[in-house]
Amino acid sequence: MDLVRFMLGGVLPYVAVVVFIVATAHRIYTWKRLAAPSMTLFPAPADDKANKKNVLKEALLFRSLFGGDRVLWGFAWVFHVVLLLIFVGHLRVFTNVDSILMTAGMSAEAIQAMSGGVGGAAGVVILVATVLLLARRLALPRVREITGAADILALLLIGAIIVTGNMMRFGAEHFDLALTREYFANLATFGGVTGQAALQNEVFMVHMVLAFLLIMVIPFSKILHFGGIFFTHELVRKH
Amino acid sequence: MSENNTKEQVVESIKAMKDGPRAMRMYMEMCVKCGTCASVCPVYYGKSEKRYNPAERTDLIRRIYRKHNTLSGRLFGRFAGAEDFDPADLEGWQGIFYECTGCRRCAMFCPFGIDHSVITRKGRALLDKLGMTPETMARVVKISLETGNTDGAGEAAFRAAIDFLEEEMEDEHGVEIKIPIDVKGADYFYVPPSGDVLVNPEATMGVAKVFHVLGMADNWTMSSKCFDGANYGLFTGNDGDMRADNKLYVDEAKELGTKVMLMGECGHAYRIMKMMMEKTAWWGELPFEIINCMQWTAERIKDGQLAFDKSKNQQPVTYHDPCNFGRSCGITEEPRVILEASCADFREMHPNRGDNWCCGGGGGLSAMDDIIDFRMEISGVKKLEQIRETGATYVSTACSNCKRQLTQLLEHHEEQIEVGGVHDMLSRAILVNGKAAERHEYV
Repeated sequence: MDLVRFMLGGVLPYVAVVVFIVATAHRIYTWKRLAAPSMTLFPAPADDKANKKNVLKEALLFRSLFGGDRVLWGFAWVFHVVLLLIFVGHLRVFTNVDSILMTAGMSAEAIQAMSGGVGGAAGVVILVATVLLLARRLALPRVREITGAADILALLLIGAIIVTGNMMRFGAEHFDLALTREYFANLATFGGVTGQAALQNEVFMVHMVLAFLLIMVIPFSKILHFGGIFFTHELVRKH
Repeated sequence: MSENNTKEQVVESIKAMKDGPRAMRMYMEMCVKCGTCASVCPVYYGKSEKRYNPAERTDLIRRIYRKHNTLSGRLFGRFAGAEDFDPADLEGWQGIFYECTGCRRCAMFCPFGIDHSVITRKGRALLDKLGMTPETMARVVKISLETGNTDGAGEAAFRAAIDFLEEEMEDEHGVEIKIPIDVKGADYFYVPPSGDVLVNPEATMGVAKVFHVLGMADNWTMSSKCFDGANYGLFTGNDGDMRADNKLYVDEAKELGTKVMLMGECGHAYRIMKMMMEKTAWWGELPFEIINCMQWTAERIKDGQLAFDKSKNQQPVTYHDPCNFGRSCGITEEPRVILEASCADFREMHPNRGDNWCCGGGGGLSAMDDIIDFRMEISGVKKLEQIRETGATYVSTACSNCKRQLTQLLEHHEEQIEVGGVHDMLSRAILVNGKAAERHEYV
């Protein structure tokens, strides 16, 4: 049992992060080095600078999708924005950002309230968004007929991460922030993680293992669309 | 060719997509399967079936790509959406890859800007390499490469048609309006689609009248060898054919010593010349510039050099943006300038310009009468609705393929709506020596 805990808690994170960085960089590099003749769609931005601005609009606001499928735009935009919010929020789990926030003038109570309020709401909203995305995928024929196992699995994996995350926040046994920070500090300094108390929390273990699994598959899956979007829009709007 | 060779050829060609161009590779690796393309596709609108779903069509090639080029595909096969190529599927491909009109509307709304027409063309290229281009399309390419035009018309037929047009114009206006042929040193070389000489010739008359009114009748020319900008190599996915066809025209322009190649009302012809040949310098530096006749005329209208009698075009007129002019070349305002100047009741159809729906005959499909049921009952359905909503009795459009599709579509659905070009309307209303044409009905 200790070996399993060690592999999942002490080895997997390193493997996942290395695989993610190397494979993502490789894939983006292979995209970048290819010849890219323009194939302009009009109305097109007037110059390269305007084109870059348009790409940013696409990446941040999903501009094209807004015109194409307003309902999906709503689901997807909320999903991604809240995901970003949750990503930022997790910094507090890894390390002590509280002191930075305090120097910025926030009281300890205010930080706790923000974490509980905004963080808690985010956990619920993203769960709803994920369920809606999955329901849409299964309910609409035009989406269902092009859906493969990988598309469903990606949503289920994300769903499981969200559910275990919410369990830690809303469950009876609230997880211990200090222990988690200690664990990540040890990981980051290669201090060894055996005997870390955080790993005794089963829900935390499942949540963390699934999250690192997700990180590891990203470069091999469609989830890398967050990198590709910066290339593909530029191509079809380049003058 | 043996089955093994066929398989190897197709698989190797799909594997090579990882080496670019960038769009090709990224379209293989990027789709999130959200279904937005299907909801904006004219074909899927006409019939919501899996085989018409753009993402599914592209997946025909993607599955093979994944099988051979991705780690997940090699490891997990079908589970990761990967499947090997089966030569038995080719016959089905012949149908499916000619059920996309290449209109690029999907790319306008895809959250990642994926342009499925690129993959449709790849699918057609694979078929073409195997000699499996549908007979109707293969024939057009062959005729065009042999005769320089897609109608297979010879010089005598061309000259006879031009003579006829000159007589018509003299009848209409009582003055001689010339259409110069093979004039070396003329600044403007007009390259229409052959349809605008042989089938719906009013557009060419319109252009001739513009030059006449401007007093430039001696400064433009047509060519008795090159009077058809249409280039079906774009549609069969054969780059070699596309370039060979294109070279005839570029060489002729150099031979004539032209300063401006004035492309006619033909969307894909202009797109190939302007957005492909010129932009990526197929033949190096060009001694002439390339513009479209609608740009040329619209400028002259804005300058106040042309005058019209709008009462000659009383009926409600709408404009259908050909995909290759609107979405792919950004020519959207010029035809409107011409139509608003020459028609009493111009109406927009919605959506329009870059967002316009395809006529249902794009990508060369318009020339394929073997799939006419598909064009009338599936790919053209949305366009029919759009036209009906305008209440117009004349649909103007700047593309021979759109014209053919729309004419058949409206006839098939028993609508009393005329179809024609942009310069056609100009030709009916433009004042020559202060008078518009005394026009007969053309049939």
